Amino acid sequence: MASSESSSSSAQSLTFYGFLDKMRNPASVDLVRSIKSFIVSFSFYSPYPENDGKRVQEFFSIFEVAIMDHQLWENSSMEEIDCSMEGLEKYVMTKLFSRTFASSPEDVKIDQEISEKIHLLQTFLRPDHLDIRPFLRNESSWLLAEKELQKINSFKAPREKLLCIMSCCKVINNLLLNASISEDHALGGADDFLPVLIYITIKANPPHLHSNLRYIQLYRRQSKLMSEAAYYFTNLVSAKSFIVDLTAESLSIDASEFEENMQAASLTNKGATVEPSLVLNPTLEEQKDVGPATALDEAEDGFGTSYPYMDAEPGELTVADVERLLSLYKDVVTKYTNLRRAP
Amino acid sequence: MGCSSSLPGRSSGRLGGLNSSESGGVPDAKNLRVKLVLLGDSGVGKSCIVLRFVRGQFDPTSKVTVGASFLSQTIALQDSTTVKFEIWDTAGQERYAALAPLYYRGAAVAVIVYDITNPDSFNKAQYWVKELQKHGSADIVMALVGNKADLHEKREVPAQDGLEYAEKQGMFFIETSAKTADNINQLFEEIGKRLPRPSSSSS
Repeated sequence: MASSESSSSSAQSLTFYGFLDKMRNPASVDLVRSIKSFIVSFSFYSPYPENDGKRVQEFFSIFEVAIMDHQLWENSSMEEIDCSMEGLEKYVMTKLFSRTFASSPEDVKIDQEISEKIHLLQTFLRPDHLDIRPFLRNESSWLLAEKELQKINSFKAPREKLLCIMSCCKVINNLLLNASISEDHALGGADDFLPVLIYITIKANPPHLHSNLRYIQLYRRQSKLMSEAAYYFTNLVSAKSFIVDLTAESLSIDASEFEENMQAASLTNKGATVEPSLVLNPTLEEQKDVGPATALDEAEDGFGTSYPYMDAEPGELTVADVERLLSLYKDVVTKYTNLRRAP
Repeated sequence: MGCSSSLPGRSSGRLGGLNSSESGGVPDAKNLRVKLVLLGDSGVGKSCIVLRFVRGQFDPTSKVTVGASFLSQTIALQDSTTVKFEIWDTAGQERYAALAPLYYRGAAVAVIVYDITNPDSFNKAQYWVKELQKHGSADIVMALVGNKADLHEKREVPAQDGLEYAEKQGMFFIETSAKTADNINQLFEEIGKRLPRPSSSSS
């Protein structure tokens, strides 16, 4: 985080609350109206991802221009404008989530196919099939990276989804750097990075991988999907693409051994076809589906999207929530443990 | 593996830079920001070249992002232009070759690296040049780099071969050693000079 902008008066304006606060100000009544009518306008058309993405990006640009000239943002720094834009992205995309995420049947189908293929691969894939160098095999780092990636479905805002990818990649990067320092190996760069990311993606099997990537690509503010963020995003796109096209030739494995393993795995999987990814998402949506009619004033609390169970009563929970609760619980424990370890 | 002398020091443990701050302002004619993609066989020292470049600059005002595979570095050219290179490393193993277009899409610069002690890597470099000519952006600046030039006694690709090939393709050619830092800065300075300047120049 930039330390340059540390005046306490601006601290508020740099959060999502800050954005909501500005929206509550009578002076922003026009802006609020434009946001609401934009969100409502989505219910007039059936989903068409490419077009929807363009419309959202256009709306973001128009809004940015509007607030630059707006009295409420007078004397605002670029950083404050940027934070308001992040607030807008989060607000709009949370409202439009169920309408825009995995909205086409093809996307849902691709998600399912990838998830099933990964499920098969998980049963036999080993790091040496991807020639991952032995000194990079670090179970605890890998587990942490997997967890970061799996969190992608705990969020609705494109920025937060992208941050999950960044955190996952950051864990891998730290592993690569530390290994090269302590083991005195040359830093392998992407030659080392990509295979580890692919392996972790397979281990993590994050539900809706394809749809998450598409969603970020279409709805993350374009000026933010650049540079380093774009690089790591591209790496996950590339990992996904590798997995989709993966055959025996993509791996250091005997072709017949590969086929046998894939077949054996699909036989074992047939009995138990509970697809966790199909259970997860509807649960999340039901919990947080805020219709377009909801006033902007109804502030989403800080944990809202990340920890949807904070306000839940025991009676409301169903068996379907168990898996998600457990994964959130593990996240919290992992975070807590890491925080405690920090110097 | 050739770049042991350019291992990141302890200081690179700070690596805070994943929350990419774009605060460098809007690029203009005097402050260019370019995407540079690195291609080449695995083991030719792509990342060593970049690491050497990024760590060799001692301008304390420049903001350096050190990652294992994405790095950025700003240099100042003699005409007082600054160029911020955003360097995208790619995995060089054959099994990832089909993924390269995802990385070079939109790149302003492609640096294609081979190892002068390894003729196969020189063939692979020529493959990348052809691929970029076919599928890269039309105005992409390409550089051919023969790395590990310090290993004279093991040389198998004569400098003349690299030079002739590059001239035929209209690209810039240089031999470097990430180990001794030879020609590393020259490589990036030359690329900086060859970048097309935005036409809206205020000069």
